[in-house]
Amino acid sequence: MKSGNKLNKIAVWDEDSARHILARTLFGYNKQDVEFALSITLDEFVDNHLLSDSPSPPQPGIWVNDPTDENTTEHTRELIYWWYNLMVTQGYSLRERMVLFWHNHFVSEVTKVYLPQRMYWQNKLFRDYSMGNVIDLTKAVTLDPAMLIYLDGIRNRKGAPNENYARELMELFTLGIGNYTEQDVQEGARALTGWRVDGLTPYFTVDRFDEGTKTFLGQTGNFNHNDVVDIIFTQPAAATFLCRELYNEFMHVAHDEDSIATMAQLLRDNNFNLKPVLSTLLKSVLFHTDEVRGAKIKSPVEMLIGVMRQFNVTTPDYVYLRQVAAQIKQELLSPPNVSGWDGDKVWINTTSLPARNIFTDAVVNGRKPNGDDLTFQLNLVEYARTFSNPEDAIQLINDISKIFLQYPLSENRREYLLTTLLDGAAVYDWSTNDPQAENRLKMFFKALMRLSEYQLS
Amino acid sequence: MDRRSFLRNLGIVAGAGTVSMAIGNIPIRAFSKSFLNIQAVNGKVIVLLQLSGGNDGLNTIIPFEDSLYYNARPSLGISKEQAVHLSNLTGMHPSLQPLKTFFDDGNLAVVQNVGYDDPDRSHFRSTDIWLSASDSDIIINDGWVGRYLANVLPDHNPINPEHPMAIQIGSTQSALLECTCQGTMGISFESPNQFYQLIQGSTADNDPPPDTIAGNQLKYIKEIAAQSIRYAEIIKEKADSVQNLATYPDTRLGRQLAIVAELIAGGLETPVYLTSIGGFDTHAGQSGPHANLLSEVAEAVAAFQQDLDLLRVADRVVLMTFSEFGRRVRQNSSGGTDHGTAAPLFLIGKNVVGGIYGKNPDLADLDNSGDIKFQYDFRQLYATLLTDQLGMPADRLPDVLQRSFESLPLISTSNFGPGGPLAFQIEQNYPNPFNPATTINYSVRVPQSIKLEVFTAAGDRVTTLVNEHQETGNYSVKFDGGKYPSGVYFASIRSGAVKQTIKMMLIK
Repeated sequence: MKSGNKLNKIAVWDEDSARHILARTLFGYNKQDVEFALSITLDEFVDNHLLSDSPSPPQPGIWVNDPTDENTTEHTRELIYWWYNLMVTQGYSLRERMVLFWHNHFVSEVTKVYLPQRMYWQNKLFRDYSMGNVIDLTKAVTLDPAMLIYLDGIRNRKGAPNENYARELMELFTLGIGNYTEQDVQEGARALTGWRVDGLTPYFTVDRFDEGTKTFLGQTGNFNHNDVVDIIFTQPAAATFLCRELYNEFMHVAHDEDSIATMAQLLRDNNFNLKPVLSTLLKSVLFHTDEVRGAKIKSPVEMLIGVMRQFNVTTPDYVYLRQVAAQIKQELLSPPNVSGWDGDKVWINTTSLPARNIFTDAVVNGRKPNGDDLTFQLNLVEYARTFSNPEDAIQLINDISKIFLQYPLSENRREYLLTTLLDGAAVYDWSTNDPQAENRLKMFFKALMRLSEYQLS
Repeated sequence: MDRRSFLRNLGIVAGAGTVSMAIGNIPIRAFSKSFLNIQAVNGKVIVLLQLSGGNDGLNTIIPFEDSLYYNARPSLGISKEQAVHLSNLTGMHPSLQPLKTFFDDGNLAVVQNVGYDDPDRSHFRSTDIWLSASDSDIIINDGWVGRYLANVLPDHNPINPEHPMAIQIGSTQSALLECTCQGTMGISFESPNQFYQLIQGSTADNDPPPDTIAGNQLKYIKEIAAQSIRYAEIIKEKADSVQNLATYPDTRLGRQLAIVAELIAGGLETPVYLTSIGGFDTHAGQSGPHANLLSEVAEAVAAFQQDLDLLRVADRVVLMTFSEFGRRVRQNSSGGTDHGTAAPLFLIGKNVVGGIYGKNPDLADLDNSGDIKFQYDFRQLYATLLTDQLGMPADRLPDVLQRSFESLPLISTSNFGPGGPLAFQIEQNYPNPFNPATTINYSVRVPQSIKLEVFTAAGDRVTTLVNEHQETGNYSVKFDGGKYPSGVYFASIRSGAVKQTIKMMLIK
């Protein structure tokens, strides 16, 4: 079967496909999530849950509406904690995954944007359009105050263009390098002139707008900001560029241009509405094939939030989460530069990998490496007893592995985990009633999450 | 292949004490204990300092006699009075004052207009071009340092080097150290102590993953796990064995370079370090932030040089700066500058032959976007570091840089090698300064082909004095500067990979 055709063939719905789709769409899952998914069909799970619309969550505080409030450090923190909370408690919607995807696509950094209020409104934009129309989203981003500030749109005016946004709009947001010229950057910048920001509101100043004729991507006219976006999306490269990123996000990084082309055609056929493409992809044999499973390196956010969701922790230690996220290089609202986080292998290096291990150890210990208690404590015996046969050590390891690992557990690794859990005892001696059970489970969970396999989704 | 079998394959039996041997043209000494990188590169180290975001070259090295500069930069231009003068035409940004003393001592080289053909103005693409050493229209997925370490350092073994092949100070890892053939060739950490604490409790796992997409990801993660466990201890040990002797500024870059100095002086055999500082993408309100960034660079680099000197390792180390591009000649309406092309860079070190290489940019002859045309290909700098600092045979350059590039006479190789007998030796010319003629004496200790050339400070060849096979003996040649203007000239004697350079002064 040509790989492009695998996109249109519906996958088998079983425990393995349920685990795979949960892992890739929800930043981690628990046993109840697998049971819920399997209680309905793949169609229902994708269309009625993952891709369903839900109302906007409440704002993190009234400060988001106040452009004069300059308590930026505290509000940046509040905004990040609020966002973590949405990810941890997201239900079965793809929305939060897409919000993070768009944050890493239409990048802004809070330090330059200055007011976290603006980052909140940009974040809301990503949430409102999370699975919506990509052209509309791009137009909204073009006039988004955070973006106007971040890529110097507010400095872009008639007679003195600033090319920053025009260039990144095409290079990083829509077309990709090689699909436009230096002249398109310069002419596009002229068409984007005239916009500024007052507090939290964009406004247009007609005498800063360059009303002259521009020649942009082969078309000539007195173009403005909306024309620029419309013309960009007439380029064949636009759909391909976005679908390659979606492929990266949901599949893996080994590009399969055949499938990407099929996805791109589907996106064009649906006038750049995302849902049909996401629905097709998430149900497809392409997505559910064996070689995709466990082939993605978890992002720091995926790993951090994932641990919380795997252990059913609904009120995480936000301070510690944010601290570790900074250490392992994914600070929300502060991507490294306008191209965002590179992802994949870049996430894992000799600093970040040990730091990930220390984090998972700390969650199990209930204590940070500096000795301070976390704001929550796990009860591992109780947790083990939520599985169907907790007194059978081998079955318990198998069942728990299905929540924590996407990469299949080798015989060697299973043996290692069993030895760790038993800690010298015989397998028939294992009991969750043993006074040492909690300690043994601690050793077991630390070893489980220290496996290299745990870093894969 | 392990270390011992490598030695056996070379036909060498390493017993007690030391054994001298040579690989290619490079004299190396193999000690029975640690046989690694440092011997292959004669203990030489390169420290790369990446200025991310595109450093504004025109406000770094100032052409203060050029009215076109001030026309293009009405508010951003650095005045002649403010500039730190390096010559009668060229100055440095005042923030770079701490580096002036190194220039005066002949240990700081400024190389003008470094860039490449058909320049790309995307940060990401141009950074990739610089890191991968590719042509502008070719995409290469690994880094030139990674390829050097994997392909050229002869005894590299990806499983077992005792010390890391390359170190990046920071908590991300650059593509510079990647090689598609063997994966990452270096490790990264923020500080030796933190690194050591991080790996406590880790265990390596040797299950071989299958050759699938997921299996290859897993293989990568396991390698990183194994590397971090293997190196954390030795790095901490080396860092703890010495103390910085200079006072560094309390900045991110200052801390990075302090760590590098400790590791070099502590005896870590790693030949390549990467350090970095970001924030150079000055599209708006450039003046203050750019001055602060250059201060941070100058103060940290000056402390580093001083420290290396006090730690008695300065003659082993060359530091080079680089940035993905310079910035547009004409300032923009936001008091900043947009993405540009060629720009100057710095080399600093005891064995650097100081001076200004190349001319001030010709601001009357810009490209279609109003950007500076390049004079030196950035890969000439890499070629220079590889051959004249790390001692790589020049005929291996294509293995690292895709093809050969002519190196520049930026690094003196006269004390090449701690132990290897030099096959030739050049002496300081006499008289010096001279007018109009001077004599250069040199000795040849092994019959070989010898090339002796004279260059201007800009790197242009003036004349070739010798180019022939010569027998063992002492030789003497005369250089007549009668038809050349006053200034600094370099006489460079070369045989294969090994080169020595002397600096000569013609004063009329």
